[in-house]
Amino acid sequence: MFEVEELRKKFKTTTAVDGVNLYLEKGESVGLLGPNGAGKSTTISMMSTLLSPTDGDVRYNGKSILKQPEIIRPVLGMVPQEIALYEELTALENMKFFGRVYGLSGKKLDNKVAEVLELVGLEDRKKDKIKNYSGGMKRRINIAVALLHEPEVLIMDEPTVGIDPQSRSYILEMVKNLNREKGMTVLYTSHYMEEVEKLCDRIYIMDHGQVIASGTKSELKSILSSEETVLVELQQKQVGFADQLSELDVVQKVIEVEQGFKIIATKADQLLADIFDVAKREQVQIIGIHVQTPTLEDVFLHLTGRKLRD
Amino acid sequence: MLTVFNLQWLRLIREPVLVFTFFGLTIGFVFFLAGSQGSSTITIQTFSDTLSEQEVAVWLERLNESDTYTFNYNEREEVENELRMSQISFALNLEADNYSFLVGQDSHFIAAANQHIMQTFQSYLRINEVNAQLTDETVSIEHYVQSDVKTLSTNVSEHDEMGLHVVAGMTLYFVIYTILFNLSNIVLEKKTGTWDRLIISPLKKTQIYIGQLAHHFMLGMLQIIISFVLFHFMLGYNFGTQLLTIVAVVMAYVFSIVALGMLVMGLVRSSQQLQAAIPIVATAMAMLGGAFWPLEIVTNNILLFLARLVPIRYGLEALIRTIVYNDSLLDVIQPVSILLLMGVIFMGLGINLMEKIK
Repeated sequence: MFEVEELRKKFKTTTAVDGVNLYLEKGESVGLLGPNGAGKSTTISMMSTLLSPTDGDVRYNGKSILKQPEIIRPVLGMVPQEIALYEELTALENMKFFGRVYGLSGKKLDNKVAEVLELVGLEDRKKDKIKNYSGGMKRRINIAVALLHEPEVLIMDEPTVGIDPQSRSYILEMVKNLNREKGMTVLYTSHYMEEVEKLCDRIYIMDHGQVIASGTKSELKSILSSEETVLVELQQKQVGFADQLSELDVVQKVIEVEQGFKIIATKADQLLADIFDVAKREQVQIIGIHVQTPTLEDVFLHLTGRKLRD
Repeated sequence: MLTVFNLQWLRLIREPVLVFTFFGLTIGFVFFLAGSQGSSTITIQTFSDTLSEQEVAVWLERLNESDTYTFNYNEREEVENELRMSQISFALNLEADNYSFLVGQDSHFIAAANQHIMQTFQSYLRINEVNAQLTDETVSIEHYVQSDVKTLSTNVSEHDEMGLHVVAGMTLYFVIYTILFNLSNIVLEKKTGTWDRLIISPLKKTQIYIGQLAHHFMLGMLQIIISFVLFHFMLGYNFGTQLLTIVAVVMAYVFSIVALGMLVMGLVRSSQQLQAAIPIVATAMAMLGGAFWPLEIVTNNILLFLARLVPIRYGLEALIRTIVYNDSLLDVIQPVSILLLMGVIFMGLGINLMEKIK
C-alpha cells in the first residue's frame, strides 16, 4: 500500500536519511522508533510530500507520490510533532477551517467536527481558544484536525511529547481504536519504547538516518535470544570495574546506567560468578544484581550502544 | 484560496490590536503634523527705509498673493522694538529691486519665506527686463507663463499641498508597518507548523499564497482609503477629483509593499530577525522616499539615487500629482508602472527565497 524505497535526504553537510526502505500494509500499525536526530521526522516529512528527497521514491498503491503528490494528500492525515494550530482561534474554528481545506462543508462539516470532537473528548471545550488549553488538550486537538477527513493513512510524529500520563494514555487508546475499529493504517514515530510496544504490529528502528532493524516485537526481541541483560547496582561506580567486565569473553557491551552498569552478554553459566570475581578484585561493593528479559530498549541498546533518549 | 483568505480575516478579528495601533498612529501623526497647523498663515512684519508708502503697498500686494504668508507693513522703529521684545523672530526690509532680513532670533521659517520673496522679486524683475527690451511691442506674458505649467487643482491651496504631503507620506509610511507586521504571520505559521499542514493538504501552494497575499493587500488598501476618508471629513483635506486614479495608485503601491514584505521575509531567517528588520526597512524607506520631507529639499546625489529604489517615492509622487494637480492615471502611468514592476520583482525574489529557506 505505502512503500518507501531507498529514500535519501542530504542537507548541506549532513545526510539526515540514508537509504531507508520500509512499507505499510493496509490497516497495519507500524512504529518508527529511534532517538532524537535519527531521521524519523525527515523520513515522514518526505512520506507526506512536505520535503523532496535527494534520492529514492515513495509509492502509494504503486504510484509515485513524489511525482503525483495529489494522490496521497486527500487520504493522508498528518499529526505533526508541534502544535500546528491557530492559537488565537477556538478549537471549533480551527477544526472548521481545516475541514474546509479538505473539501468538507455545510452539514457534513458540522457533523464530522462534532464526531471528532467527541472522539478526542473535547466537545464541551470546543469554544475555548487553543491558547487557553492545557498541553494534553492541545495535543488531542492537534490529532483531531488530522482525522476530520477520515484519512486512509495516519502519520503521527511523536504525538505525545511533553504531556501528562493521563492524556498520553487517552491518546494511545484513541489511536489503537482508530487502527483496530476503523482500519486506519497508522505510522507512529516515537522515542518512547512502551508506546510503540503497545500500539504497533511491526517496528522499524532507525539510527543515524538508517533503518538498523525491523520486524514484529517478538522478531526484534529474538535478536537478543542468545543473550542476556544483567543490571549490576553498585555502592559506588568505578570505571575500572566496567573495563574489567568488558574484557570478559562473554560480555558484548557494558553500558553505564544511573545505578551502576548494564551488561549485555552471551548466555553463559559462569557470567554471574565472573561478575562477582571482578567486583572482588576491583573492591567494588555490589548492592543488587538483576537478570532481565530483553525489551525493545535492550534491542536498541544492543544495536546502537546508546539508549533511546540519549 | 477563499478559505485561507477568510481565515486571515478571522485571525485579525480575534487579534486586531496591531492593525488598530498602526491605524491610530497614522491618524495621530497626521493630526499633529498637518492637522494642528490648521489653515494659519505665517505673518511677516515688513518695513522699508527707502521706498515710498505707495511702492511698499505695491510690493505687499505682490507678496501677499501667497496663501501661506501675510506681509504686514510697520514702521522700522516698531519692528525693532518687537524684535527686541522677542515678539517676532525676523522682519523684512524692502529696498528698490532688493530686500534684506532683520533677524532677532534664528527661525526655520526664514528659509521658506526667503524662497517665496526671492521668487516674487525674480519674477517681477524678469518682466521688467523684458519690458525694457521690447519697448515697442506688446507681449502677452500671461500666454507664455501659462503654457505648459501645471496648475493646482481648484480647491488645493499652496498650504494644503504641504499638508497633503504629510497626509500622503504618513499614510504610506504607516501602512508599511501594518502590511509587514501582518505578513510576519506567514513566518509564524511556518514556525508553528500550520503552514506545513496546509502544504500537505489538497490545496495548491498558489492557492495558499494568493489567499494570504490577497488578505494583506486588502488590509493595506483599507487602511489607506479609510485614512483618506477620515482626513477628508475630520481635517477637511481635499483629495481632488481623480478619486479612481487615487485608488489605482494606492493599489499599485500596496501591491509593491506586500511584495517587498515577501522579499524581506525571504531574506530573514527567524521571526526575531523579521521584527528587527521591519522598522529599519519602513523608516529608512520613508526617509529616503520623501515621506517625512519633500525630496525637493534633498541635494545629496547618493540619497536621490537611493530614493529611486524605494516604492514610497513613486507612491508619493503619483499621489501628490493626482491629488494636487488633478493628474489622470495616464499622467501618472510612469510611477504606477515602476511600482508594479518593483512589485513583480520583489514578489518573484521573495517567494523563491522563502521556498528555499525550507
